[in-house]
This record gives sequence, structure tokens and C-alpha cells, in this order.
Amino acid sequence: MSQLENKTFDQKITRRDLIKIFGATAVAASGIFGASSQAFAKSAAHIVVLGGGVGGATFAKYLRFADPDVKITIIEQDAEYITCLRSNDVIAGMHTLDELTFNLDTIKNKYNVNVVIDKVVGADFDKKTVSTAKGERFSYDKLVVSPGIDFKFEDYEGYDAELAEGEFPHAYKAGPQTLKLREQLLAMPQGGTAIIATPQNPFRCPPGPYERASFFAEYFKKHNPTAKLLVLDPKDRFTKDVPFKKAWERLYGYKSDNSLIEWVSGSEGGRVVRLDTANMMVETDGDDFKADLINIIPNQRAGVLAQKLGLTNASGWCPIERNTMESSLHKEVYVLGDSSIADAMPKSGFSANSQAKVCAQAIADTLKGEHPGTAIYSNVCYSLAGENYGVSIAAVYEVRDGLIQPKGESAGVSEITDKKAQPILEAVYQKNWQREFVKDVFS
Amino acid sequence: MKTRLLISAFAFTLAQPVLAEGQNPMATGSAMAWQCAPCHGTNGQEFLEAMPPLAGMSVEQFTKAMLAYREGTRPSVIMDRVARGFTDAEIDAMAVWFEKQPLKQWENTSLTEANAAHQSAQTQATGGQK
Repeated sequence: MSQLENKTFDQKITRRDLIKIFGATAVAASGIFGASSQAFAKSAAHIVVLGGGVGGATFAKYLRFADPDVKITIIEQDAEYITCLRSNDVIAGMHTLDELTFNLDTIKNKYNVNVVIDKVVGADFDKKTVSTAKGERFSYDKLVVSPGIDFKFEDYEGYDAELAEGEFPHAYKAGPQTLKLREQLLAMPQGGTAIIATPQNPFRCPPGPYERASFFAEYFKKHNPTAKLLVLDPKDRFTKDVPFKKAWERLYGYKSDNSLIEWVSGSEGGRVVRLDTANMMVETDGDDFKADLINIIPNQRAGVLAQKLGLTNASGWCPIERNTMESSLHKEVYVLGDSSIADAMPKSGFSANSQAKVCAQAIADTLKGEHPGTAIYSNVCYSLAGENYGVSIAAVYEVRDGLIQPKGESAGVSEITDKKAQPILEAVYQKNWQREFVKDVFS
Repeated sequence: MKTRLLISAFAFTLAQPVLAEGQNPMATGSAMAWQCAPCHGTNGQEFLEAMPPLAGMSVEQFTKAMLAYREGTRPSVIMDRVARGFTDAEIDAMAVWFEKQPLKQWENTSLTEANAAHQSAQTQATGGQK
């Protein structure tokens, strides 16, 4: 990714390049030489998708539903994709990484999508081409970018990507760091202290750090009952904080003298500014905290690819047209998922899946020369506050006054009730949802 | 060709209800139904999990359930919140679309079958007009 260059390609696209891209028959049959781009788009438009994660894979599948003829290519650097969603379960030992690992075989075979495992190194928005590390060049009619997130290590003195790969994993992209954090949790001394430092808004999976905190507490309750977790937060509120804190009270003695979790808000000096690896200590606005395990989940911005392609604004995220997900900065380039600025929608896998469907229909409509239909988005996030205790947030969204906003009276979090079955049911639904969701994305 | 375009444009105008200022025209049945997939399966065709499959559900059953969730007369975990995001007409459009989807697990459904079901639902929704 660091090799990425935002380069303009001066070379002409030769017939051979086109044959390489579309195959000899396509070039011969469509007779695109000399035809207007409009005519070409109508006969066999080529949509190139950068990133084969939740956004990219869902997009390709649903574009095939919306348009049986369009040519679709996904360029993804990894042959296998590990979902970030449910990776907290791996830390708690409820899932293995293998169970969260998927590939694009069904997308390729069932939905007739060209899958290229390669790294994108540049794009030319004027000539509408993308080039890769292996020296391939792809021409597109529409480019769809779904690049996930990048971390702002520079917000923390003494922390960097290398430390994250070593003894201080953030584990906020699923992979080896997830396993490392599990190993560290299991190796904690009896009665030890762990720190989870949560990021500033906006960030991927807003309930993620708090679900992770819950799992640490549940692990302590079972295996290390005198240990303690400190959640250091730069914010005074977090998503689903009311049902999360109620669950912590019910399960982990939150607010009592023997609480397994202590949450330090931004106002109380919870914002971490420095990591001292030698002394196993973090410094916040208010104090220094020593611990046996330190998990900093850094502040975030749009994925590196989005930055390098010039799709981000001063906020570090990608502005989009709300009805189509088309970049506000570059025509015919679309941004999906965590990287996009989607207003009230959280940066979740569910949101990326939802946005991918809206974008697929909008592109199909546009290619037919029709005005894209009304966008409708949704998000449902189930989190676990314990293995058998779920909390949820849900909303349906529409575009209103130029922003993506909750539609009707749909937005809301789990009600606090005395019904014992409710959080258990939410946990059951969470597990059902995870299995179903990945099928909607990858199969 | 030109005449045909004019006619369909005219039909489209007729089909649209009068909208208050700032109000969006309704999304299509399929666009709304796609949003149900993460929990209920692609095209509502998930028969193996706790959330009920929506494919093949009768219009009446779907509509009654959604209205009861929305009005709070049917207990639920999250469906009350979801249902409050939809108007009567939107619920009806989703119901019509789901009723036409095949009663089988998505993984065993071909793209051809899915396309045929979608076309059939579209035809139903537009009263035979394309």
C-alpha cells in the first residue's frame, strides 16, 4: 500500500491492453473502437471494484442482480478475507479465525465476476484506468472503491504500526493481531490489570471496543476474578452505552467496589496520549496508568487506498453523494463502507453491505440512462455484552435535507427491561445474524 | 420508439403519489427488500436460522406482521424498530416482492431462477406494465 502512487498514465491504451482486459472476443464483437463511450457503456460497461471485503463483494453480487450483462472485475490484494465482524469472539475463544475467513470463489463463479488477486498501485481518473503491482492495467466505466480503514498512530506518542504488529496489537483488523491479543489475555497474571483505550469518533464498528471490554470482563469473571479492566475513553458517551452499562452492572459488578470493569470518560481524563512500552504504562490527559496488558484501538481515517487516490477531504474520510455513494470529489468513482462519510450511518459491516446495494442499483440505473431511484439504507448491529447477553442498535435510513438520516421512528437501541429472555434472545439473534450476514456478502 | 418512451413516462407520472415538499418518492420493492437480507437471507431465502424466511410469505402475512410490529401490538426484539421505518405503501411493496421469491435456500437457487422471480414480482408490482 505504501508504494501506491497517484500517477497519471501517459501511454495510450493499445488494442493489446484491451484484449488483455476484456478478452479477444469481447473486443472483436463489441467493436468498441471509434464508438462513443456512451454506446460502449450501453453494450458492455466495465465496473471495476477495488477491495473484495464486505462492501466490494456485496456490491459485485448485487450489481449482477441489477444488471445481467455488465462486466464486473474485483481487484483484491488478499486471496482470503477475514471478517472484522465477530473477531472479538476469537479473542474470547468463541470463534476461530478460520471460521471468519472467506474467499471470492462464489462471487466469481455464481455471479460471473472477474476476480483479480493483485495490489492496486495507481489510478487515472481522466483516462479511467487502474494499474496494479503485477503491471496489469484495467479500463473502467465506473470505479467502486471499498478500502476499509487506516489507523492514526500519530495521535499517540510512542505507538506505531510496528508495535501493533508486535507486543501491542490493536487487533482492530482481524488477523494475527487478534490471536496475539487472545494470547495476552490468557497470559495475564492473577489479579492483574488490563487497559483498553478506545478511539475518538468516527471509527469502525462503534460498539466493537465495548464488546471487547465485555469479553475481557467475562473472561476475568471465569478465570481471573481479581483482575480488573480499565476502559480509557476520549468520549463521554458511546454507542449503546445505556444497555452496555446495564449489562456490565448485571454481569460484572459495574459501579460496585468489586467491579471487573472501570470506565474512564473523556471528561474524567480518559483520552490516551502516550504509550510507554518500557514501563507498561499509558499517559492520558488526566493521569498515568500501569497495566499488564495494553490494547490501544487507535483513532482512524479512510483506508490508505482512498487517501492515495485523492478521495478523502480534510476530515480524512470520503465525501459522497448520498443517493448513490458516488464520490463528491471525482465523478464515476464510488466509495463504499467505512471510508465513506455516511452521516448517521455507523461504520459497520451491515452499513457497507447496505450501501453496496444502493450503489449497485444506482450504477445499473445510470448505465441504462435512467435516474437512480430513491436510496434506502439500513443498519442493525448486535453486540454481545457476554456470551449469552446481546444488545442491539437498529435504524432504517433515507436521504433527507441532503444527509443520510433515520427514517420514520426506526432508530433505537435495546430497551432496558426486566425480561430475562430479552438479552438472551438478542444473543441468539446475534449468532444467527453473523452466519446469515456473511452468506449475503460472499455466497 | 419515441411514442413508447412518452407513454411510459406518462404512466410513470400517474403512478407517483403526490409528494409533500422534501419527501422522497418511494424506493422500489426490491431495493427495500434487499435491505432485509443480512438477517433474513438473500432475497429472504434463509430457512436455517432463527429469523423467519421472507421468501414466499403471503402478502397478507407479511403486511400484518409488519404493521403489528410497527404499532407495538406484537412483541419483538428489533423488528418493532425496523418496522417503524416503513410506511404502509412501502410495507406493501416489500410484501409483493417477497411473495414471488422461491421457497428454497438461497445457496440452492440459480441466478436464472432469481432473475425470473424478480421479473415476476416487478410485473405484479406494476400491474403488468413495464
